[in-house]
Amino acid sequence: MGDAGPVAARVSVELVAPGIFVWRDDDHVETFHCVRDGEVVHLFWRGTAYRLEADGQSSRSAHRVVPGALEAPMPGRVIAVRVEPGQAVTKGQELLVVEAMKMENALRAPRDGTVKSVAARPGDMVSPGVVLVELE
Amino acid sequence: MFAKVLIANRGEIAVRVARTCRVMGIPTVAVYSEADRGALHPREADEAVLVGPAEAARSYLDIDAVLAAAKRTGADAVHPGYGFLSQNADFAEAVLRAGLTFIGPPPDVHRAMGDKQAARRRMAASGVPVVPGYEGDDQSDGALLAAAREVGWPVILKPSRGGGGKGMRVVRSAEDFPSALAASRREARGAFGDDRMVLERYLEKPRHVEVQVLGDTHGHLVHLFERECSIQRRHQKIVEETPSPALTPERRAALCAAGLAAARAAAYVNAGTVEFLLAPDGSFYFLEVNTRLQVEHAVTEAITGLDLVRLQIEIAAGKALPFGPDEVSAQGHALECRLYAEDPDHDDRPAPGRVLHYAAPEGPGIRFDSGVVAGSEVTVHYDPMLAKLVTWGRDRGEAVARMRAALRRTVVLGVTTNLARLQAIVDHPAFRAGALHTGFIEEHLAAPAPPVGPPPEALAAAHAALRLSRGAGSPEAAASDPWETLGPWRLA
Repeated sequence: MGDAGPVAARVSVELVAPGIFVWRDDDHVETFHCVRDGEVVHLFWRGTAYRLEADGQSSRSAHRVVPGALEAPMPGRVIAVRVEPGQAVTKGQELLVVEAMKMENALRAPRDGTVKSVAARPGDMVSPGVVLVELE
Repeated sequence: MFAKVLIANRGEIAVRVARTCRVMGIPTVAVYSEADRGALHPREADEAVLVGPAEAARSYLDIDAVLAAAKRTGADAVHPGYGFLSQNADFAEAVLRAGLTFIGPPPDVHRAMGDKQAARRRMAASGVPVVPGYEGDDQSDGALLAAAREVGWPVILKPSRGGGGKGMRVVRSAEDFPSALAASRREARGAFGDDRMVLERYLEKPRHVEVQVLGDTHGHLVHLFERECSIQRRHQKIVEETPSPALTPERRAALCAAGLAAARAAAYVNAGTVEFLLAPDGSFYFLEVNTRLQVEHAVTEAITGLDLVRLQIEIAAGKALPFGPDEVSAQGHALECRLYAEDPDHDDRPAPGRVLHYAAPEGPGIRFDSGVVAGSEVTVHYDPMLAKLVTWGRDRGEAVARMRAALRRTVVLGVTTNLARLQAIVDHPAFRAGALHTGFIEEHLAAPAPPVGPPPEALAAAHAALRLSRGAGSPEAAASDPWETLGPWRLA
């Protein structure tokens, strides 16, 4: 995670039994439950059951409007940029890493292509919807 | 004692009856439909017999099929559970004719109490208070309207042979009466094959209280205190407790005495429940007698330490009650929440599906009676109750506190449940103050809570959990997975 920022407490998640996980966050440890059923993810977190769908395929997703643009998924801090403009990338390749909600999340190439622009540097705070990388 | 008990039911109650039989050393036979091949209850019995297709009328309600299963397996007694054939006099009679023992009241008690008109007349004649009403044989529109005017608005229309809230309607004026009557009759014909109506004064903000009674075949009759079941949706109970927070010791004694009087008037044998409406002024009125074990019997077990299924079996086997009228004491307070696969935000619509993940709460004073396990299929064919969560405490406050905590550790993933509503009920200041009435949900929790998304760390947790569950997949597969490319999220 590099130099620790103000939100950089180390979080770990551990699978302890099918569907049962342990979340560790400094001195805080708790159990949560999570199972996936196709496109739907069922999450039980602090007394509440949630039914979630990834919106990546939905029509209101900005990914559809600009097929090559990859947005910040949630508020967070860019902690690593793995590519530069002009670089050829393959589907699935890690483009950059955003630390959001105390977790590191890799942003991966949805397809083969060439990086057209990179609009983020390590340390930048980013908001959802901000285009971080464009592919062509 | 019996050589083998056939349990003519499914789900939670079939599992619960099997559990007591196992303790008593009595082998059990489960029956199941084609829809319940993978269900929990056949696994919990020593033997299991397929009795028909998914449709209840051709399986769990098929008297011949159930009796054939008893004959084939050598069962000599039948426990009907609740619902299905439990209050069916013809079934009780057919069981006896087949030379078996019915673990419940005799057929004539079912018959007498199943006809609500006859039951009310009998109770009124025995001095048990009944709500002002009409149960006349003249069922013409004119006679019913005249009766409604005399009883006084608002009135409630009830099918004479009804149950479970079907066909019941509150009518507040003469103008609304004809259409309400027509609708109630239609529903009553459809559900019970009988459209005779009884009509009663509708009490505003009443509480539902009931008295558990037990009678043996030697003429002994006792009560096991009351339960309050005022928290209802669509006239069906979802939260029950004992003792009722509304009763003073004097009113409690009067209510339990009235329950006993009603049971005596019915010549009651085995376990039964006498239901009353309790008005805000402390007066109470007979509603009906449920000639079966109730769903909510577990709260009575929690405060008395008794096993009601065991007592039912012993009574059916001809044993005398092991205690006298004043020898049962109640200790503490117990609550029950019924966990349903239903959607409180959409008219309590049943929510079928597969239970993908399931975890029961544990701890002192907690009992969880479940009819499903992880992997169970909740089908559209039967009542969608999944489980009953019961908590006991030294006093109501402790029982409520334990319930609030236990509801936050009750995990059901894969099907939509009423868990959030149950949490909202027991968290509500009015519930905690014991200010209950049968319109509690409509008054306090009518507006569906706006959908709230998970907090950010929960989404992060879900992401991490999904990766761990899947193991190290190829980056390519990961990239084509909508959960991996980190798009926006939404509540499904």
